[in-house]
Amino acid sequence: MSSATTSVRDLLPSAPVAAGPPSPLDAESQGLLNALRGSGRAYDEACARLHELLLRAAKFEISRRAWGLPAAEAEDLANEAADDALVAVLRRLDDFQGLSRLTTWVYKFGIYEAAVKVRKRAWRDREIPLEPEAWGLLPSGTKGPEDGLEETELLTALTASIENDLTPHQRRVLVALALNGVPIDVLAERLSTTRGALYKTLHDARVKLRKRLAEQGLSLEAWEGTN
Amino acid sequence: MERRDLEQAIGRLLGPAGPEVSCDTCFAELDRYVELEVAGKDADAAVPGLRAHLDGCSACREEHDSLRALVSGERPA
Repeated sequence: MSSATTSVRDLLPSAPVAAGPPSPLDAESQGLLNALRGSGRAYDEACARLHELLLRAAKFEISRRAWGLPAAEAEDLANEAADDALVAVLRRLDDFQGLSRLTTWVYKFGIYEAAVKVRKRAWRDREIPLEPEAWGLLPSGTKGPEDGLEETELLTALTASIENDLTPHQRRVLVALALNGVPIDVLAERLSTTRGALYKTLHDARVKLRKRLAEQGLSLEAWEGTN
Repeated sequence: MERRDLEQAIGRLLGPAGPEVSCDTCFAELDRYVELEVAGKDADAAVPGLRAHLDGCSACREEHDSLRALVSGERPA
């Protein structure tokens, strides 16, 4: 099984991203970029335009994810996200290679900052379940006799592998993210780490589980593609 | 637990089968990937491993879905 031996980081240097030649920038994007690399009034106006774009993206994200949030709080959250995103965009301006429209590149920063804030807001007053006993819910349900046999065998092997093959940290991260639905940004903040580092831990745990199940001859095809 | 729920739980535990990019690479490539998708081009060929990552990382998937919706001109729900 390829995923048993391929790590997230393995893919990075060898992933040939078919970039192709950069497309010429539209006039507005080029003008905005030039102003952002300059100074004075033009720079200030370009920053204000960037903030408008980021605020639009942040409000879009918040309206999709944070229903029920009081309007004033949603507005504050969107402005905070746009402010933080503006700092990130200005810091990473040289990363923009013109492989997409500048607006699309900018929007992703606004959406990212807003999404993280919405997730943290939603879990602000909630306890984060980190203990492995919280996953007792998994092996409980078998249906008919045929399904039951297949499920029981897989769940027994999966349970054993989670208990025996994973490190305590991998087990804690897997249970929190994959079973208890803790948002990765919320867990990253709680554990003083990053989304990327946590996802690497999750990925490594998944590889171990898949490898163990494959060694036991268990077919995973019926369970694929249902994340 | 219904079978569908069980399938989803196992899917979340095991993640995608194929190689995938990291969260950082996903973020770096997301704008180009989304524009290719919206244009009806083969985004998966252009950025190998990004689709698998979206299948395995719910946070990146949410951000992808939002960016795609925004770029496509969808109105928020």
